[in-house]
Amino acid sequence: KRTKRAKNGNKACSLQEEEVTISQLGLAYISDETIPFRYCSGRCVASRRNYDLTLASLKRKHVLNRENLKKARHSPCCRPIAYEKEISFLDNESKYHTIYDVSASECACV
Amino acid sequence: MILLNALTVLLLLDDAVGSMVGSSSLSGLDAQGWRAPMDCLRASEMCNQNPQCSSRFRIMRQCLVGRDRTTMLANKECQAALEVLQDSPLYDCRCKRGMKKELQCLQSYWSIHMGLNEGEELYETSPYEPMIFSDEFRLASIISAMYSALSKGNLCSDTGKPCNPCLDAAKACNLNDTCKRQRSAYIATCNRATPIAHTQEPCNRKRCHKALRQFFERVQTEFSYPLLFCSCRDKGCAERRRQTIVPACSFEEKTKPNCLELRRTCRSDPLCRSRLADFHMNCQTTPHSITSCPNDNYHGCLVSYVGLIGLDVTPNYVDSNHTNITISPWCGCRGSGNQEAECEAFLRDFRENVCLRNAIQAFGYGADAGFLPFTESQSAFPSERPNLQPAIITKPVISSNDIKPVDGACVFSTCANLKDGVQKCSPSNSFECADESMLDPNMDGSIDSMGSHQSENNRARQSSASPAGVSAATVLLSITLISQVL
Repeated sequence: KRTKRAKNGNKACSLQEEEVTISQLGLAYISDETIPFRYCSGRCVASRRNYDLTLASLKRKHVLNRENLKKARHSPCCRPIAYEKEISFLDNESKYHTIYDVSASECACV
Repeated sequence: MILLNALTVLLLLDDAVGSMVGSSSLSGLDAQGWRAPMDCLRASEMCNQNPQCSSRFRIMRQCLVGRDRTTMLANKECQAALEVLQDSPLYDCRCKRGMKKELQCLQSYWSIHMGLNEGEELYETSPYEPMIFSDEFRLASIISAMYSALSKGNLCSDTGKPCNPCLDAAKACNLNDTCKRQRSAYIATCNRATPIAHTQEPCNRKRCHKALRQFFERVQTEFSYPLLFCSCRDKGCAERRRQTIVPACSFEEKTKPNCLELRRTCRSDPLCRSRLADFHMNCQTTPHSITSCPNDNYHGCLVSYVGLIGLDVTPNYVDSNHTNITISPWCGCRGSGNQEAECEAFLRDFRENVCLRNAIQAFGYGADAGFLPFTESQSAFPSERPNLQPAIITKPVISSNDIKPVDGACVFSTCANLKDGVQKCSPSNSFECADESMLDPNMDGSIDSMGSHQSENNRARQSSASPAGVSAATVLLSITLISQVL
Protein backbone atom coordinates (compact mmCIF):
# COMPACT_ATOMS: atom_id res chain seq x y z
CA LYS A 1 0.00 0.00 0.00
CA ARG A 2 1.45 3.30 -1.10
CA THR A 3 1.15 6.36 1.04
CA LYS A 4 -0.16 9.61 -0.30
CA ARG A 5 3.29 11.16 0.05
CA ALA A 6 4.94 8.48 -2.02
CA LYS A 7 2.40 9.03 -4.78
CA ASN A 8 3.00 12.77 -4.88
CA GLY A 9 6.71 12.23 -4.61
CA ASN A 10 6.85 10.69 -8.05
CA LYS A 11 5.64 13.76 -9.85
CA ALA A 12 8.30 15.56 -11.84
CA CYS A 13 8.89 19.26 -11.39
CA SER A 14 5.98 21.15 -12.97
CA LEU A 15 3.75 24.18 -12.74
CA GLN A 16 0.91 23.92 -10.23
CA GLU A 17 -2.01 26.24 -9.76
CA GLU A 18 -4.04 27.24 -6.75
CA GLU A 19 -6.77 29.87 -6.54
CA VAL A 20 -6.00 32.30 -3.74
CA THR A 21 -7.26 35.70 -2.72
CA ILE A 22 -4.94 38.69 -2.80
CA SER A 23 -5.14 38.91 0.99
CA GLN A 24 -3.82 35.37 1.28
CA LEU A 25 -0.66 36.28 -0.63
CA GLY A 26 0.77 37.77 2.54
CA LEU A 27 2.01 40.89 0.79
CA ALA A 28 -0.01 43.15 3.08
CA TYR A 29 -2.60 43.96 0.42
CA ILE A 30 -6.20 43.56 1.49
CA SER A 31 -8.43 42.50 -1.35
CA ASP A 32 -10.98 39.76 -1.82
CA GLU A 33 -10.14 39.41 -5.47
CA THR A 34 -9.12 35.90 -6.48
CA ILE A 35 -6.14 35.17 -8.68
CA PRO A 36 -4.60 31.94 -9.85
CA PHE A 37 -1.31 31.52 -8.02
CA ARG A 38 1.08 29.35 -10.00
CA TYR A 39 4.07 27.71 -8.36
CA CYS A 40 6.63 25.03 -9.08
CA SER A 41 6.57 21.69 -7.40
CA GLY A 42 7.84 18.18 -8.07
CA ARG A 43 10.89 15.98 -7.97
CA CYS A 44 14.15 16.67 -9.74
CA VAL A 45 15.85 13.31 -9.35
CA ALA A 46 15.98 12.69 -13.07
CA SER A 47 17.98 15.79 -13.76
CA ARG A 48 20.78 15.05 -11.34
CA ARG A 49 24.23 15.46 -12.88
CA ASN A 50 27.54 13.95 -11.92
CA TYR A 51 28.08 17.12 -9.93
CA ASP A 52 25.19 16.23 -7.65
CA LEU A 53 26.29 12.63 -7.18
CA THR A 54 29.85 13.71 -6.42
CA LEU A 55 28.76 16.34 -3.99
CA ALA A 56 26.51 13.89 -2.19
CA SER A 57 29.31 11.42 -1.92
CA LEU A 58 31.78 13.99 -0.65
CA LYS A 59 29.28 15.15 1.92
CA ARG A 60 28.82 11.62 3.15
CA LYS A 61 32.57 11.15 3.50
CA HIS A 62 33.02 14.50 5.25
CA VAL A 63 35.67 15.51 2.77
CA LEU A 64 34.49 19.07 2.38
CA ASN A 65 34.86 21.89 4.84
CA ARG A 66 32.21 21.50 7.48
CA GLU A 67 30.79 24.98 7.20
CA ASN A 68 30.42 24.82 3.43
CA LEU A 69 29.19 21.29 3.52
CA LYS A 70 25.97 22.10 5.28
CA LYS A 71 24.92 24.67 2.76
CA ALA A 72 25.89 22.80 -0.39
CA ARG A 73 22.86 21.29 -2.14
CA HIS A 74 23.42 17.96 -3.82
CA SER A 75 20.11 17.80 -5.65
CA PRO A 76 18.57 20.18 -8.18
CA CYS A 77 15.71 22.40 -7.02
CA CYS A 78 12.37 22.79 -8.71
CA ARG A 79 12.22 26.55 -9.19
CA PRO A 80 10.50 29.08 -11.49
CA ILE A 81 12.64 30.21 -14.41
CA ALA A 82 10.05 32.75 -15.59
CA TYR A 83 7.38 34.75 -13.84
CA GLU A 84 4.12 36.32 -14.88
CA LYS A 85 4.96 39.94 -15.45
CA GLU A 86 2.20 41.75 -13.63
CA ILE A 87 -1.12 41.31 -11.98
CA SER A 88 -3.42 44.21 -11.19
CA PHE A 89 -6.28 44.21 -8.76
CA LEU A 90 -8.64 46.48 -6.88
CA ASP A 91 -8.21 46.38 -3.12
CA ASN A 92 -11.02 46.60 -0.60
CA GLU A 93 -10.46 50.33 -0.27
CA SER A 94 -11.16 50.78 -4.01
CA LYS A 95 -7.55 51.45 -4.89
CA TYR A 96 -5.79 49.76 -7.74
CA HIS A 97 -2.43 48.05 -7.33
CA THR A 98 -0.11 46.26 -9.67
CA ILE A 99 2.31 43.69 -8.34
CA TYR A 100 5.09 42.02 -10.27
CA ASP A 101 6.65 38.56 -10.37
CA VAL A 102 4.11 37.05 -8.02
CA SER A 103 3.21 33.97 -9.95
CA ALA A 104 5.46 31.51 -11.79
CA SER A 105 4.96 30.87 -15.47
CA GLU A 106 7.66 28.25 -16.18
CA CYS A 107 9.47 25.73 -14.01
CA ALA A 108 12.74 23.83 -14.23
CA CYS A 109 15.13 21.81 -12.13
CA VAL A 110 18.03 24.14 -11.55
CA MET B 1 -48.16 26.87 -47.08
CA ILE B 2 -49.03 28.85 -44.02
CA LEU B 3 -45.37 28.89 -43.23
CA LEU B 4 -44.56 30.29 -46.64
CA ASN B 5 -47.09 33.03 -46.20
CA ALA B 6 -45.78 33.74 -42.78
CA LEU B 7 -42.31 34.09 -44.17
CA THR B 8 -43.42 36.56 -46.78
CA VAL B 9 -45.18 38.65 -44.20
CA LEU B 10 -42.13 38.31 -42.05
CA LEU B 11 -39.80 39.75 -44.61
CA LEU B 12 -42.01 42.75 -45.05
CA LEU B 13 -42.20 43.09 -41.33
CA ASP B 14 -38.44 42.97 -40.96
CA ASP B 15 -38.17 45.59 -43.60
CA ALA B 16 -40.47 47.84 -41.63
CA VAL B 17 -38.38 47.32 -38.54
CA GLY B 18 -35.28 48.13 -40.50
CA SER B 19 -36.61 51.46 -41.62
CA MET B 20 -37.81 52.09 -38.10
CA VAL B 21 -34.18 52.09 -37.03
CA GLY B 22 -33.67 54.80 -39.56
CA SER B 23 -31.15 52.91 -41.58
CA SER B 24 -31.57 53.08 -45.28
CA SER B 25 -29.04 50.31 -45.75
CA LEU B 26 -31.42 47.73 -44.45
CA SER B 27 -33.65 48.21 -47.41
CA GLY B 28 -31.51 45.82 -49.40
CA LEU B 29 -33.85 42.92 -48.89
CA ASP B 30 -34.26 41.14 -52.17
CA ALA B 31 -35.50 37.78 -53.37
CA GLN B 32 -32.37 36.07 -52.08
CA GLY B 33 -33.06 37.30 -48.58
CA TRP B 34 -30.79 39.49 -46.55
CA ARG B 35 -28.17 41.57 -48.28
CA ALA B 36 -25.42 43.14 -46.31
CA PRO B 37 -24.40 46.68 -47.24
CA MET B 38 -21.01 46.99 -48.81
CA ASP B 39 -18.22 48.04 -46.50
CA CYS B 40 -16.85 51.52 -47.10
CA LEU B 41 -13.32 50.35 -47.79
CA ARG B 42 -14.52 48.26 -50.70
CA ALA B 43 -16.87 51.02 -51.78
CA SER B 44 -14.05 53.54 -51.95
CA GLU B 45 -11.94 51.01 -53.85
CA MET B 46 -14.73 50.59 -56.35
CA CYS B 47 -15.11 54.33 -56.59
CA ASN B 48 -11.41 54.73 -57.25
CA GLN B 49 -11.66 52.39 -60.24
CA ASN B 50 -14.15 54.70 -61.86
CA PRO B 51 -12.41 57.87 -63.08
CA GLN B 52 -15.43 60.10 -62.61
CA CYS B 53 -16.23 58.83 -59.14
CA SER B 54 -12.64 58.92 -57.97
CA SER B 55 -12.11 62.51 -59.04
CA ARG B 56 -15.32 63.59 -57.27
CA PHE B 57 -14.30 61.63 -54.21
CA ARG B 58 -10.98 63.45 -54.16
CA ILE B 59 -12.67 66.82 -54.50
CA MET B 60 -15.08 65.90 -51.72
CA ARG B 61 -12.28 65.03 -49.33
CA GLN B 62 -10.59 68.31 -50.06
CA CYS B 63 -13.85 70.11 -49.50
CA LEU B 64 -14.18 68.66 -46.05
CA VAL B 65 -10.74 69.60 -44.84
CA GLY B 66 -11.12 72.26 -42.21
CA ARG B 67 -14.52 73.42 -43.31
CA ASP B 68 -17.93 73.17 -41.79
CA ARG B 69 -20.94 72.12 -43.73
CA THR B 70 -22.33 75.50 -44.70
CA THR B 71 -19.10 76.84 -46.16
CA MET B 72 -18.61 73.59 -47.95
CA LEU B 73 -22.02 73.62 -49.57
CA ALA B 74 -21.52 77.21 -50.62
CA ASN B 75 -18.81 75.93 -52.91
CA LYS B 76 -20.38 74.85 -56.21
CA GLU B 77 -17.71 72.29 -56.97
CA CYS B 78 -18.17 70.64 -53.60
CA GLN B 79 -21.88 70.50 -54.05
CA ALA B 80 -21.57 68.94 -57.48
CA ALA B 81 -19.16 66.34 -56.13
CA LEU B 82 -21.58 65.48 -53.36
CA GLU B 83 -24.40 65.00 -55.84
CA VAL B 84 -22.37 62.61 -57.96
CA LEU B 85 -21.23 60.62 -54.96
CA GLN B 86 -24.77 60.11 -53.76
CA ASP B 87 -25.22 57.68 -56.61
CA SER B 88 -22.02 55.79 -55.87
CA PRO B 89 -21.64 52.73 -53.66
CA LEU B 90 -20.09 55.04 -51.07
CA TYR B 91 -23.47 56.45 -50.28
CA ASP B 92 -24.86 53.22 -48.87
CA CYS B 93 -21.76 51.71 -47.38
CA ARG B 94 -21.25 50.64 -43.78
CA CYS B 95 -18.40 49.52 -41.51
CA LYS B 96 -18.09 46.62 -39.13
CA ARG B 97 -17.21 46.98 -35.49
CA GLY B 98 -13.66 45.99 -34.85
CA MET B 99 -12.95 45.28 -38.52
CA LYS B 100 -9.49 45.53 -40.00
CA LYS B 101 -8.73 49.14 -40.92
CA GLU B 102 -11.85 50.25 -39.10
CA LEU B 103 -10.64 53.82 -38.88
CA GLN B 104 -10.00 54.03 -42.63
CA CYS B 105 -13.43 52.65 -43.30
CA LEU B 106 -15.02 55.20 -40.99
CA GLN B 107 -13.08 57.99 -42.64
CA SER B 108 -14.47 56.96 -46.00
CA TYR B 109 -17.93 56.87 -44.54
CA TRP B 110 -17.77 60.34 -43.05
CA SER B 111 -16.19 61.82 -46.16
CA ILE B 112 -19.62 61.51 -47.72
CA HIS B 113 -21.90 61.68 -44.75
CA MET B 114 -20.37 64.69 -43.13
CA GLY B 115 -21.72 66.64 -46.06
CA LEU B 116 -25.12 64.95 -45.97
CA ASN B 117 -25.79 65.40 -42.32
CA GLU B 118 -27.40 68.47 -40.98
CA GLY B 119 -24.23 69.62 -39.32
CA GLU B 120 -25.21 70.13 -35.72
CA GLU B 121 -28.14 67.79 -35.61
CA LEU B 122 -28.77 65.79 -32.46
CA TYR B 123 -28.45 62.30 -33.89
CA GLU B 124 -26.48 61.00 -36.82
CA THR B 125 -26.81 57.76 -38.73
CA SER B 126 -24.49 55.08 -37.45
CA PRO B 127 -21.81 54.04 -39.92
CA TYR B 128 -21.88 50.56 -38.44
CA GLU B 129 -23.85 47.67 -39.78
CA PRO B 130 -27.07 47.23 -37.89
CA MET B 131 -26.98 44.46 -35.35
CA ILE B 132 -29.57 42.01 -36.50
CA PHE B 133 -31.45 39.52 -34.49
CA SER B 134 -28.88 36.80 -34.47
CA ASP B 135 -27.11 38.98 -31.95
CA GLU B 136 -29.64 37.87 -29.44
CA PHE B 137 -28.13 34.46 -29.68
CA ARG B 138 -24.90 36.01 -28.65
CA LEU B 139 -26.52 37.70 -25.71
CA ALA B 140 -27.91 34.40 -24.60
CA SER B 141 -24.51 32.83 -24.86
CA ILE B 142 -22.91 35.68 -22.96
CA ILE B 143 -25.43 35.37 -20.20
CA SER B 144 -25.02 31.66 -19.93
CA ALA B 145 -21.26 31.99 -20.00
CA MET B 146 -21.45 34.66 -17.37
CA TYR B 147 -23.49 32.53 -15.10
CA SER B 148 -21.35 29.50 -15.54
CA ALA B 149 -18.34 31.70 -14.90
CA LEU B 150 -19.98 33.17 -11.85
CA SER B 151 -20.99 29.82 -10.54
CA LYS B 152 -17.32 29.04 -10.25
CA GLY B 153 -17.20 31.69 -7.62
CA ASN B 154 -19.63 31.66 -4.81
CA LEU B 155 -22.40 33.75 -6.20
CA CYS B 156 -25.22 33.36 -3.80
CA SER B 157 -23.81 30.22 -2.26
CA ASP B 158 -24.16 29.23 1.34
CA THR B 159 -20.63 29.98 2.40
CA GLY B 160 -21.72 32.97 4.42
CA LYS B 161 -19.72 35.36 2.27
CA PRO B 162 -21.69 38.27 0.88
CA CYS B 163 -22.82 37.90 -2.69
CA ASN B 164 -20.70 40.19 -4.89
CA PRO B 165 -21.13 39.48 -8.60
CA CYS B 166 -18.55 42.15 -9.48
CA LEU B 167 -15.96 40.36 -7.41
CA ASP B 168 -16.92 37.11 -9.07
CA ALA B 169 -16.54 38.76 -12.46
CA ALA B 170 -13.03 39.87 -11.49
CA LYS B 171 -12.26 36.32 -10.45
CA ALA B 172 -13.57 34.88 -13.69
CA CYS B 173 -11.43 37.41 -15.57
CA ASN B 174 -8.31 36.60 -13.55
CA LEU B 175 -8.74 32.91 -14.24
CA ASN B 176 -8.72 33.55 -17.98
CA ASP B 177 -5.23 34.31 -19.20
CA THR B 178 -6.15 36.82 -21.91
CA CYS B 179 -8.54 38.70 -19.69
CA LYS B 180 -6.11 38.77 -16.79
CA ARG B 181 -3.28 40.05 -18.98
CA GLN B 182 -5.35 42.71 -20.72
CA ARG B 183 -6.99 43.84 -17.50
CA SER B 184 -3.68 44.10 -15.70
CA ALA B 185 -2.31 46.00 -18.68
CA TYR B 186 -4.99 48.70 -18.67
CA ILE B 187 -5.04 49.00 -14.90
CA ALA B 188 -1.27 49.37 -14.76
CA THR B 189 -1.40 51.99 -17.54
CA CYS B 190 -4.29 53.94 -16.10
CA ASN B 191 -3.02 53.78 -12.55
CA ARG B 192 0.51 54.91 -13.30
CA ALA B 193 1.29 58.50 -12.42
CA THR B 194 3.04 60.35 -15.19
CA PRO B 195 6.11 62.10 -13.92
CA ILE B 196 5.49 65.31 -15.81
CA ALA B 197 7.25 68.01 -13.82
CA HIS B 198 5.06 70.30 -11.72
CA THR B 199 1.76 69.26 -13.25
CA GLN B 200 1.16 66.25 -11.00
CA GLU B 201 -0.87 64.54 -13.66
CA PRO B 202 -2.52 61.48 -12.16
CA CYS B 203 -1.98 59.48 -15.31
CA ASN B 204 -1.56 59.50 -19.05
CA ARG B 205 -5.18 59.70 -20.14
CA LYS B 206 -4.53 59.01 -23.80
CA ARG B 207 -2.62 55.82 -23.11
CA CYS B 208 -5.19 54.77 -20.56
CA HIS B 209 -7.99 55.20 -23.07
CA LYS B 210 -6.08 53.21 -25.63
CA ALA B 211 -5.49 50.37 -23.20
CA LEU B 212 -9.17 50.34 -22.28
CA ARG B 213 -10.21 50.18 -25.93
CA GLN B 214 -7.79 47.33 -26.41
CA PHE B 215 -9.21 45.50 -23.42
CA PHE B 216 -12.75 45.64 -24.74
CA GLU B 217 -11.65 44.76 -28.26
CA ARG B 218 -9.49 41.79 -27.42
CA VAL B 219 -11.16 40.18 -24.45
CA GLN B 220 -14.12 37.91 -24.99
CA THR B 221 -17.31 39.64 -23.98
CA GLU B 222 -18.25 36.89 -21.57
CA PHE B 223 -15.38 38.04 -19.41
CA SER B 224 -15.33 41.79 -20.01
CA TYR B 225 -19.07 42.53 -19.85
CA PRO B 226 -19.69 40.99 -16.42
CA LEU B 227 -17.00 43.29 -15.01
CA LEU B 228 -18.85 46.31 -16.31
CA PHE B 229 -22.46 45.23 -15.96
CA CYS B 230 -22.46 43.10 -12.83
CA SER B 231 -25.57 43.47 -10.72
CA CYS B 232 -25.07 44.82 -7.23
CA ARG B 233 -26.94 44.60 -3.99
CA ASP B 234 -24.61 46.71 -1.90
CA LYS B 235 -22.43 49.75 -2.09
CA GLY B 236 -19.12 47.91 -2.03
CA CYS B 237 -20.08 45.98 -5.11
CA ALA B 238 -21.39 49.06 -6.91
CA GLU B 239 -18.20 50.93 -6.11
CA ARG B 240 -16.18 48.09 -7.60
CA ARG B 241 -18.37 48.28 -10.70
CA ARG B 242 -17.84 52.03 -10.94
CA GLN B 243 -14.10 51.52 -10.62
CA THR B 244 -13.95 49.04 -13.50
CA ILE B 245 -12.65 51.53 -16.05
CA VAL B 246 -10.31 53.26 -13.55
CA PRO B 247 -12.43 56.43 -13.61
CA ALA B 248 -9.83 58.54 -11.81
CA CYS B 249 -7.85 58.44 -15.03
CA SER B 250 -10.21 57.54 -17.87
CA PHE B 251 -13.30 59.44 -16.76
CA GLU B 252 -12.85 62.27 -14.29
CA GLU B 253 -11.04 65.48 -15.05
CA LYS B 254 -10.35 68.61 -13.08
CA THR B 255 -13.06 70.52 -14.87
CA LYS B 256 -16.35 69.39 -16.31
CA PRO B 257 -16.70 70.56 -19.89
CA ASN B 258 -20.03 71.48 -21.39
CA CYS B 259 -21.63 68.45 -22.99
CA LEU B 260 -22.11 70.13 -26.36
CA GLU B 261 -18.49 71.10 -26.38
CA LEU B 262 -17.60 67.50 -25.58
CA ARG B 263 -19.80 66.33 -28.41
CA ARG B 264 -18.07 68.71 -30.78
CA THR B 265 -14.70 67.32 -29.73
CA CYS B 266 -16.02 63.82 -30.25
CA ARG B 267 -17.42 64.59 -33.68
CA SER B 268 -14.09 65.86 -34.88
CA ASP B 269 -12.72 62.34 -34.44
CA PRO B 270 -14.14 59.79 -36.90
CA LEU B 271 -14.01 56.92 -34.42
CA CYS B 272 -15.67 58.80 -31.58
CA ARG B 273 -18.24 60.27 -33.93
CA SER B 274 -19.13 56.84 -35.27
CA ARG B 275 -19.41 55.23 -31.88
CA LEU B 276 -21.58 58.05 -30.58
CA ALA B 277 -23.89 57.75 -33.56
CA ASP B 278 -24.00 54.01 -32.99
CA PHE B 279 -24.87 54.50 -29.32
CA HIS B 280 -27.68 56.86 -30.20
CA MET B 281 -29.03 54.41 -32.70
CA ASN B 282 -28.91 51.28 -30.55
CA CYS B 283 -29.66 52.71 -27.12
CA GLN B 284 -32.32 55.24 -28.02
CA THR B 285 -35.24 54.84 -25.66
CA THR B 286 -38.04 53.51 -27.82
CA PRO B 287 -41.49 53.95 -26.30
CA HIS B 288 -43.23 51.32 -28.41
CA SER B 289 -41.08 48.36 -27.51
CA ILE B 290 -41.34 46.14 -24.48
CA THR B 291 -37.77 46.60 -23.41
CA SER B 292 -37.63 50.30 -24.43
CA CYS B 293 -34.77 49.41 -26.76
CA PRO B 294 -34.74 49.57 -30.56
CA ASN B 295 -35.81 46.14 -31.83
CA ASP B 296 -35.79 44.95 -28.23
CA ASN B 297 -32.12 44.36 -28.74
CA TYR B 298 -30.42 44.73 -25.36
CA HIS B 299 -27.17 43.36 -26.61
CA GLY B 300 -26.94 45.94 -29.37
CA CYS B 301 -27.27 48.69 -26.80
CA LEU B 302 -24.61 47.22 -24.54
CA VAL B 303 -22.20 46.74 -27.43
CA SER B 304 -22.53 50.32 -28.56
CA TYR B 305 -22.26 51.55 -24.96
CA VAL B 306 -19.00 49.66 -24.51
CA GLY B 307 -17.86 51.11 -27.83
CA LEU B 308 -17.76 54.55 -26.23
CA ILE B 309 -15.32 53.55 -23.50
CA GLY B 310 -11.85 54.89 -24.16
CA LEU B 311 -13.06 57.82 -26.27
CA ASP B 312 -13.74 61.47 -25.48
CA VAL B 313 -17.29 60.68 -24.42
CA THR B 314 -16.34 57.76 -22.15
CA PRO B 315 -19.42 57.08 -20.03
CA ASN B 316 -19.47 55.64 -16.53
CA TYR B 317 -21.57 55.13 -13.43
CA VAL B 318 -21.64 58.48 -11.71
CA ASP B 319 -21.76 57.07 -8.17
CA SER B 320 -21.75 53.84 -6.22
CA ASN B 321 -25.48 53.80 -5.70
CA HIS B 322 -26.58 50.20 -6.04
CA THR B 323 -30.33 50.74 -6.24
CA ASN B 324 -30.44 53.38 -8.94
CA ILE B 325 -28.01 53.30 -11.82
CA THR B 326 -27.02 56.65 -13.28
CA ILE B 327 -24.72 56.78 -16.27
CA SER B 328 -23.12 59.88 -17.71
CA PRO B 329 -20.13 61.08 -19.63
CA TRP B 330 -17.93 63.57 -17.79
CA CYS B 331 -19.76 66.74 -18.75
CA GLY B 332 -22.47 69.08 -17.61
CA CYS B 333 -24.80 71.68 -19.05
CA ARG B 334 -23.48 74.78 -17.37
CA GLY B 335 -22.72 77.54 -19.79
CA SER B 336 -24.87 76.17 -22.58
CA GLY B 337 -26.40 79.55 -23.32
CA ASN B 338 -29.31 79.30 -25.72
CA GLN B 339 -28.50 75.65 -26.42
CA GLU B 340 -29.42 74.50 -22.96
CA ALA B 341 -32.32 72.37 -24.18
CA GLU B 342 -30.11 70.57 -26.67
CA CYS B 343 -27.46 70.01 -24.05
CA GLU B 344 -30.00 68.58 -21.63
CA ALA B 345 -31.31 66.30 -24.34
CA PHE B 346 -27.82 65.01 -25.01
CA LEU B 347 -27.21 64.36 -21.34
CA ARG B 348 -30.59 62.76 -20.85
CA ASP B 349 -29.70 60.07 -23.38
CA PHE B 350 -27.18 58.87 -20.84
CA ARG B 351 -28.59 59.80 -17.47
CA GLU B 352 -32.23 58.94 -18.01
CA ASN B 353 -31.99 56.31 -20.70
CA VAL B 354 -34.52 53.60 -19.92
CA CYS B 355 -33.24 51.33 -22.66
CA LEU B 356 -29.67 51.49 -21.43
CA ARG B 357 -30.70 50.98 -17.84
CA ASN B 358 -32.90 48.02 -18.70
CA ALA B 359 -30.16 46.50 -20.80
CA ILE B 360 -27.64 46.78 -17.99
CA GLN B 361 -30.05 45.43 -15.43
CA ALA B 362 -31.14 42.61 -17.68
CA PHE B 363 -27.53 41.65 -18.19
CA GLY B 364 -26.84 41.36 -14.50
CA TYR B 365 -30.38 40.37 -13.62
CA GLY B 366 -30.49 43.10 -11.08
CA ALA B 367 -33.15 42.85 -8.43
CA ASP B 368 -35.07 45.84 -9.67
CA ALA B 369 -35.37 44.97 -13.32
CA GLY B 370 -39.09 45.47 -13.52
CA PHE B 371 -39.69 42.86 -16.16
CA LEU B 372 -37.64 39.91 -17.12
CA PRO B 373 -38.34 38.88 -20.67
CA PHE B 374 -36.46 35.66 -20.11
CA THR B 375 -38.91 34.49 -17.51
CA GLU B 376 -41.96 35.23 -19.58
CA SER B 377 -43.25 32.97 -22.25
CA GLN B 378 -44.44 34.29 -25.56
CA SER B 379 -48.10 34.11 -24.66
CA ALA B 380 -47.58 36.42 -21.72
CA PHE B 381 -47.03 39.38 -23.98
CA PRO B 382 -49.98 41.43 -25.09
CA SER B 383 -51.04 40.10 -28.43
CA GLU B 384 -52.21 43.40 -29.86
CA ARG B 385 -48.66 44.37 -30.66
CA PRO B 386 -47.87 42.34 -33.74
CA ASN B 387 -44.98 44.59 -34.69
CA LEU B 388 -42.76 43.48 -31.88
CA GLN B 389 -40.52 40.52 -31.89
CA PRO B 390 -40.38 39.45 -28.29
CA ALA B 391 -39.85 35.90 -29.44
CA ILE B 392 -36.22 36.59 -30.00
CA ILE B 393 -35.52 37.02 -26.35
CA THR B 394 -37.71 34.38 -24.90
CA LYS B 395 -36.96 30.87 -23.92
CA PRO B 396 -37.09 29.15 -27.29
CA VAL B 397 -34.02 31.04 -28.38
CA ILE B 398 -32.10 30.14 -25.32
CA SER B 399 -32.82 26.48 -25.58
CA SER B 400 -32.11 26.52 -29.28
CA ASN B 401 -28.71 27.87 -28.39
CA ASP B 402 -27.81 24.64 -26.65
CA ILE B 403 -27.96 26.09 -23.22
CA LYS B 404 -29.16 23.61 -20.70
CA PRO B 405 -32.66 24.60 -19.68
CA VAL B 406 -31.75 23.64 -16.14
CA ASP B 407 -29.24 26.45 -16.11
CA GLY B 408 -31.91 28.83 -17.18
CA ALA B 409 -34.26 27.61 -14.53
CA CYS B 410 -31.78 28.34 -11.83
CA VAL B 411 -30.57 31.61 -13.11
CA PHE B 412 -33.81 33.11 -14.14
CA SER B 413 -36.32 31.91 -11.68
CA THR B 414 -34.21 31.58 -8.57
CA CYS B 415 -31.49 34.20 -8.56
CA ALA B 416 -33.14 36.79 -10.69
CA ASN B 417 -36.33 37.54 -8.91
CA LEU B 418 -35.08 37.87 -5.38
CA LYS B 419 -35.47 41.35 -4.17
CA ASP B 420 -34.01 41.19 -0.71
CA GLY B 421 -30.41 42.05 -0.07
CA VAL B 422 -29.56 38.88 1.79
CA GLN B 423 -30.54 36.71 -1.08
CA LYS B 424 -29.26 33.24 -1.28
CA CYS B 425 -29.43 31.00 -4.24
CA SER B 426 -28.70 27.78 -2.53
CA PRO B 427 -27.27 25.40 -5.06
CA SER B 428 -29.41 22.49 -4.08
CA ASN B 429 -28.90 19.57 -6.37
CA SER B 430 -31.98 20.24 -8.44
CA PHE B 431 -30.28 23.34 -9.79
CA GLU B 432 -26.98 23.65 -11.47
CA CYS B 433 -25.78 26.81 -9.83
CA ALA B 434 -22.33 25.47 -9.28
CA ASP B 435 -21.55 23.54 -12.38
CA GLU B 436 -18.92 21.10 -11.27
CA SER B 437 -17.35 20.81 -14.67
CA MET B 438 -16.62 24.52 -14.54
CA LEU B 439 -14.95 24.15 -11.16
CA ASP B 440 -12.39 21.89 -12.69
CA PRO B 441 -8.93 23.39 -12.86
CA ASN B 442 -8.61 22.24 -16.44
CA MET B 443 -11.69 24.11 -17.45
CA ASP B 444 -9.87 25.77 -20.31
CA GLY B 445 -11.45 23.32 -22.70
CA SER B 446 -14.98 24.28 -21.86
CA ILE B 447 -14.25 27.98 -21.96
CA ASP B 448 -12.55 27.55 -25.30
CA SER B 449 -15.42 25.66 -26.77
CA MET B 450 -17.71 28.39 -25.60
CA GLY B 451 -15.50 30.94 -27.26
CA SER B 452 -15.51 29.14 -30.54
CA HIS B 453 -19.22 28.74 -30.31
CA GLN B 454 -19.51 32.43 -29.96
CA SER B 455 -17.23 33.18 -32.82
CA GLU B 456 -19.41 30.97 -34.92
CA ASN B 457 -22.27 33.19 -34.03
CA ASN B 458 -20.12 36.13 -34.90
CA ARG B 459 -19.45 34.76 -38.27
CA ALA B 460 -23.07 34.12 -38.85
CA ARG B 461 -23.79 37.67 -37.90
CA GLN B 462 -21.10 39.24 -40.01
CA SER B 463 -22.00 37.41 -43.13
CA SER B 464 -25.52 38.49 -42.76
CA ALA B 465 -26.16 37.51 -46.34
CA SER B 466 -25.96 33.87 -45.36
CA PRO B 467 -29.39 32.39 -44.88
CA ALA B 468 -28.21 30.57 -41.77
CA GLY B 469 -27.83 33.78 -39.87
CA VAL B 470 -31.39 34.72 -40.58
CA SER B 471 -33.11 31.42 -40.64
CA ALA B 472 -33.13 30.82 -36.91
CA ALA B 473 -34.66 34.17 -36.20
CA THR B 474 -36.95 33.66 -39.14
CA VAL B 475 -38.22 30.36 -37.85
CA LEU B 476 -38.88 31.82 -34.43
CA LEU B 477 -40.63 34.81 -35.82
CA SER B 478 -42.73 32.70 -38.10
CA ILE B 479 -43.78 30.62 -35.12
CA THR B 480 -44.86 33.83 -33.48
CA LEU B 481 -46.77 34.88 -36.51
CA ILE B 482 -48.47 31.56 -37.00
CA SER B 483 -49.52 31.47 -33.40
CA GLN B 484 -51.01 34.89 -33.84
CA VAL B 485 -52.77 33.99 -37.06
CA LEU B 486 -54.35 30.87 -35.62
